[in-house]
Amino acid sequence: MTAPGGSSGAYSFSLTTFSPSGKLVQIEHALAAVAGGTTSLGIKATNGVVLATEKKSPSLLLDTSVLEKVAPICPNIGFVYSGMGPDFRVLVAKARKIAQAYWKMYGEHPPTKVLVQEVAAVMQQATQRGGVRPYGISLLIAGWDSHRGQSLYQVDPSGSYWAWKASAIGKNTVNGKTFLEKRYNDDLSLEDAIHTALLTLKEGFEGQMTEKTIEIGVVTVPTAEQMQENSGERLPPTFRKLTEQEVRDYLAL
Amino acid sequence: MEYNGGSVVAMIGKDCVAIASDLRLGQQSVGVAMNFDKVFPVNDKLYYGLPGLATDVYTLREQLRFRVNMYRMKEEREITPKTFTHLVSSTLYEKRFGPYFIEPVVAGLPSPTELDPHPKPFISTMDTIGCITTPKDFAVAGTASNKLFGVAEGLWEPDLEPEDLFETISQTLLNAVDRDALSGWGAIVHVITHDKVITRQLRARMD
Amino acid sequence: MECAFAITGKDFVLIASDMSAGRSIIQMKSNENKITPVGPNLAMACGGEPGDTSRFADYVDRNLRLYHIRNNFPLPPPSAASWVRRILAESIRSRSPYAVNVLLGGFDTTTSKPHLYWLDYLGTKADIPYAAQGVGMYVTLSTMDKWWYENIERREALDVLNKCVDEVKKRVTIKFDFNCVLIDKDGVHSLDLKSQDPIAELEAKVAAMKPSDPEPIIPSSDAPAIAAA
Repeated sequence: MTAPGGSSGAYSFSLTTFSPSGKLVQIEHALAAVAGGTTSLGIKATNGVVLATEKKSPSLLLDTSVLEKVAPICPNIGFVYSGMGPDFRVLVAKARKIAQAYWKMYGEHPPTKVLVQEVAAVMQQATQRGGVRPYGISLLIAGWDSHRGQSLYQVDPSGSYWAWKASAIGKNTVNGKTFLEKRYNDDLSLEDAIHTALLTLKEGFEGQMTEKTIEIGVVTVPTAEQMQENSGERLPPTFRKLTEQEVRDYLAL
Repeated sequence: MEYNGGSVVAMIGKDCVAIASDLRLGQQSVGVAMNFDKVFPVNDKLYYGLPGLATDVYTLREQLRFRVNMYRMKEEREITPKTFTHLVSSTLYEKRFGPYFIEPVVAGLPSPTELDPHPKPFISTMDTIGCITTPKDFAVAGTASNKLFGVAEGLWEPDLEPEDLFETISQTLLNAVDRDALSGWGAIVHVITHDKVITRQLRARMD
Repeated sequence: MECAFAITGKDFVLIASDMSAGRSIIQMKSNENKITPVGPNLAMACGGEPGDTSRFADYVDRNLRLYHIRNNFPLPPPSAASWVRRILAESIRSRSPYAVNVLLGGFDTTTSKPHLYWLDYLGTKADIPYAAQGVGMYVTLSTMDKWWYENIERREALDVLNKCVDEVKKRVTIKFDFNCVLIDKDGVHSLDLKSQDPIAELEAKVAAMKPSDPEPIIPSSDAPAIAAA
């Protein structure tokens, strides 16, 4: 039997049916969708985390300022993705809701790991429930919390997640990771990390790298003074996107 | 509130907090039990008291124990007094239109962290639907709350050491509940310090 | 509930309850049993709204029996009390609450300790050595305050219980008849308060039964013991 529109046989048809080799082929297809997406990467530094991604425009006529690939979820956590844009927006909306629900319950923003677990659970559900397909994206999640400090996570369509020191997803993952392995060391500062991110992105970048064609988000670890200023009432916002001007300055260096 | 009776008081000291309650359980004017604890531990740095309707004392305590255990497993850490206060508040507000008849009191010592190496002792109270107050001195609740306010106002002073705080909170509680028909019948005090919790049952008027 | 009270002793619990059924000033029945065995070593006196009491006692009995069958082990008294409390607490905030007040007495065979719980229709629970409910509360509590002591023996406890019965008969306008059960390691036994020495009768009964009879899984008013075969 040949499944409609697929070449992998009967097991690619039902999302919830294992193939004899123990694979869920739809999940593999979702990973293929991710691997076809634009490159995104993240690097954890001693005093922060950087997320960077390529913003590809299929046409010169497109107004890219409206495109948003790096998304703040709550003041201490941000996402970036590779894969299908619409799926990302759905997950961002869900993640923001989860973060707000957490805030409503506990009066503070969720620790990175907790949000990662919740989002991973949402993605896992889409591999088991009927009538849905897996999300066609991988996420890089950067955040800071008072419990674990700065952290960087990757979540895949299967719902698996990992904590990374540095990782790349999407097109050129292998090259990107090899490059990061060479460049990474444990006492990288945030500034260094941003530059390493730009260099990694440059590898295999198609076209001109400008503030219009890349996006950067950073997590900065708050200082003790910053914590004191708010007298512990609220965490200072630790995740923010770099402005176009800031990106331009980094590119110029 | 007046059906079963009972009172709780919490006080801030120097690097310590204390929380105390009476032990009476009544059915209106009749005393039923003199071992009805209203103060429970979350961990060895955080206690809370639930004066009010006794059935809700149990129900809310079970609910909070469930939620704190889930929190502990999910987050792999102990809940802080401030976060716990918010959790209690949210739990109460969930029943906004059919509230638990409880006025909780929370007392705890936040653990030092890298960014906040010297956290202040913490107490808070809520009304029955979870509106939070975080006093800098003492918190009272229950049927003897008006008397507790009076005595605490007179006895409390800043920066009491654990033993002095114990004396202050004990005298406050005993003298307040002696003037309240619905509270009394024994008392229990917990003083939370950084290295231990001192728990003592008080000899009280048993009439 | 019109009137019930209970006393714990060294290795037993006594529960006594009135047997009247009626409405307002009219008594229609004077031999209504209000004490239900709800486990091999657990019994419950139920008072309150007449229909609710028997329904509730039945509900508790059946659920505790189900637990016993599933786990081949009866729910111990402290856990049973927590469960009964939960049912009452959920019931009070439901559309049709049970209006019942309960005295739950039992003997924990795992720890060899007697337990007594005072529960009201709101789901209030008190773990106490002696308790009373209903109109008799006002006179029997003070009687027990005066005469009860820790580790009291059976005959002495029964004396206290009889003092309470007398006090109720003396002070409460309505005249009640009482029945009584004693719960110990051997099970739930009913005592005849009118007899000369109910404890001696009970001891004789237990001694006669013990060697031959296999221990029934759950003594119950209607159903035969499951292990009979």
